[in-house]
Amino acid sequence: MNPTLYRRALEHTIGSPQQMASRKVALERFFTHGLPTPRDEDWKYTALDFLEQMDLHAPHAAEDWASEDYPGIVMRFGNGRLTDADLRSIHAHGLADHADSPLVVRYLGRLADTLPGGAALADINSALWQDGLLLHVPVGWKASPVFVTHYASESDAMLHLRHLVVLEAGTEAVLVEHDQGTPDLPYWHNSVTEIVLGEGARLTHIKLDEDSAAATHTSLTLVGQSRDSRYHALSLLVGGRVARHDTRVNLNGSGAECQLDGLFIADARRHIDQHLHVEHAAPHTTSRQTWRGIATGRGRGIFDSRVVVQPGAQKADAQQSSRNLLLSPHAEIDVKPQLEIHADDVRCSHGATVGQLDEAQVFYLRSRGIAADTARALLLHGFAGEALGLLKNAALSDWLEPHLAAALPLLNKELTT
Amino acid sequence: MLEIRNLHVSIGDRPILAGIDLDVKAGEVHAIMGPNGSGKSTLAQVLAGREGYAVTAGSVRYLDRDLVGQDLLALAPEQRARAGIFLAFQYPLEIPGVANVQLLRSALNSVRLQRGESELDAMDFLDTVKSKLALLDMDESFLYRAVNEGFSGGEKKRNEILQMAVLEPRLAILDETDSGLDIDALKTVAHGVNALKHPERAVILVTHYQRLLNYIVPDHVHVLAGGRIVRSGDAGLALELEDRGYGWLIPESGSLEEMRP
Repeated sequence: MNPTLYRRALEHTIGSPQQMASRKVALERFFTHGLPTPRDEDWKYTALDFLEQMDLHAPHAAEDWASEDYPGIVMRFGNGRLTDADLRSIHAHGLADHADSPLVVRYLGRLADTLPGGAALADINSALWQDGLLLHVPVGWKASPVFVTHYASESDAMLHLRHLVVLEAGTEAVLVEHDQGTPDLPYWHNSVTEIVLGEGARLTHIKLDEDSAAATHTSLTLVGQSRDSRYHALSLLVGGRVARHDTRVNLNGSGAECQLDGLFIADARRHIDQHLHVEHAAPHTTSRQTWRGIATGRGRGIFDSRVVVQPGAQKADAQQSSRNLLLSPHAEIDVKPQLEIHADDVRCSHGATVGQLDEAQVFYLRSRGIAADTARALLLHGFAGEALGLLKNAALSDWLEPHLAAALPLLNKELTT
Repeated sequence: MLEIRNLHVSIGDRPILAGIDLDVKAGEVHAIMGPNGSGKSTLAQVLAGREGYAVTAGSVRYLDRDLVGQDLLALAPEQRARAGIFLAFQYPLEIPGVANVQLLRSALNSVRLQRGESELDAMDFLDTVKSKLALLDMDESFLYRAVNEGFSGGEKKRNEILQMAVLEPRLAILDETDSGLDIDALKTVAHGVNALKHPERAVILVTHYQRLLNYIVPDHVHVLAGGRIVRSGDAGLALELEDRGYGWLIPESGSLEEMRP
């Protein structure tokens, strides 16, 4: 490990004396461990030590850039900093501008700094973040959909984005995180999103990762849910050279419910490692996971999902499903569903499949005049597109659809490489 | 339109068809009947181009002026479909995530391009499809459901005939389309098929039972047993089979036993 490079990056951060002190504490926590290596059980498949071979540094400048149009409030970030805030925004703000607000002081780090066993990537983010989103919805409001769109354009930059979402009791919001970068540019995107859901609050959270094919993308989403709240996430993970996505949900209040849906595409040489962890910490809590994966070329996908039902979380209801298509002999998919149950009156199930496209379906389509390649593309699109259907939100799935279509591998080419 | 000569087909080492000869002319309706395991469905699948069957002898000529004398069996399934062959499946496949309308539109446009016609735009396509839906007493919502997913048996069969009606094939092969249908669904399906009768179009009905033939009257009936056509006749033959079963037509030799799994 090279502490100097991180210390130097710390010099590029700002904040009150208290914040600077807590950044230093976080950095020291990071130093005790360093970047995860495959010796860590949770990082068995994904090594990050290669990052320190890069010329890692804090980004120099934030350029404004022209984003696509989004159906909602847009918060535009470039190289880790807010570059343009939507004037119509009521509830969405830049986090750096509000770092001293009582709300941020109260909630920032509450989930990330208290992870059992620590988390090196959360620590380095807590130490080095420069900006991010603050989404705060006070009682009585329903927020317009907020699109947090980030573009990375600096080679070897460390982009530690930090987002904080606080939905007070009974409120509702839609948050979309969209990450992109200059094609084939190497950089390290490391984001932490902390989400606090008050009683009965409802959040739909979409993640679209389209980072560059040379980028490293690590992200940690932490959700704390009060009574009767609902968290629905849909992740469309189709970017990066090495990607690691962690989601951890604590169902702390009775009646809390989470639905974690996702689709990953590991094509070319992409390595994509996804970890979900749901803690049922209260009775009558529900979790649903519907995850799909496609691996082709020399791609590799890992889906590791752990559901823990704590003692006393009676009537917990947990379902995990993972369906995967392996489309090339050199691709690999590893699926690890785990249920850990410490209560006796629960309903839990999991299922996982890894297979190929069904040739009987291909023949059916061909017998209707559809060329073999087109038939396979239709089936693949159908498989992937079902993930969007889970959103039950036409405006959002219409927005996602072209992104999905663009990410789908061209089978006839991919299959032979 | 279709000339099958001495067709022999095996699956692995097991012979299924042992010398089929059949001539189908434009405008005709042929019924192919026979007991289970006689090779009826194999014949239908081989004509549509399903992989996994080995043609060990024989030839199939189809519309020789269109296909320039090429043996049908040399064509890929999609080429056959574009040349006007349609197979209504005995067990239509469910295709989650692909809407009926997507399948119909892709299929119709591939077939139209082959026929030298332009692709239909979304509006013209919908007009075409809606008239066919009415023919089969199907609701427009069928178009937006995933292909056959969660359809009842009868809905799946109607959906097959809908596809056929949209694609307007020259040669339609209906594989056990009557199986699993109640009488109302059977009438609807038969009505759909009858509406498509045309002097330039031929239909092959593969069926175990005579029941369907009350509603779609065939010009010729063939009995397939032991991988061969053992008897051909007119619609009267089907009625005779209804009375007497298949036993009296099955050859005495051991060949049938060999043909069975």
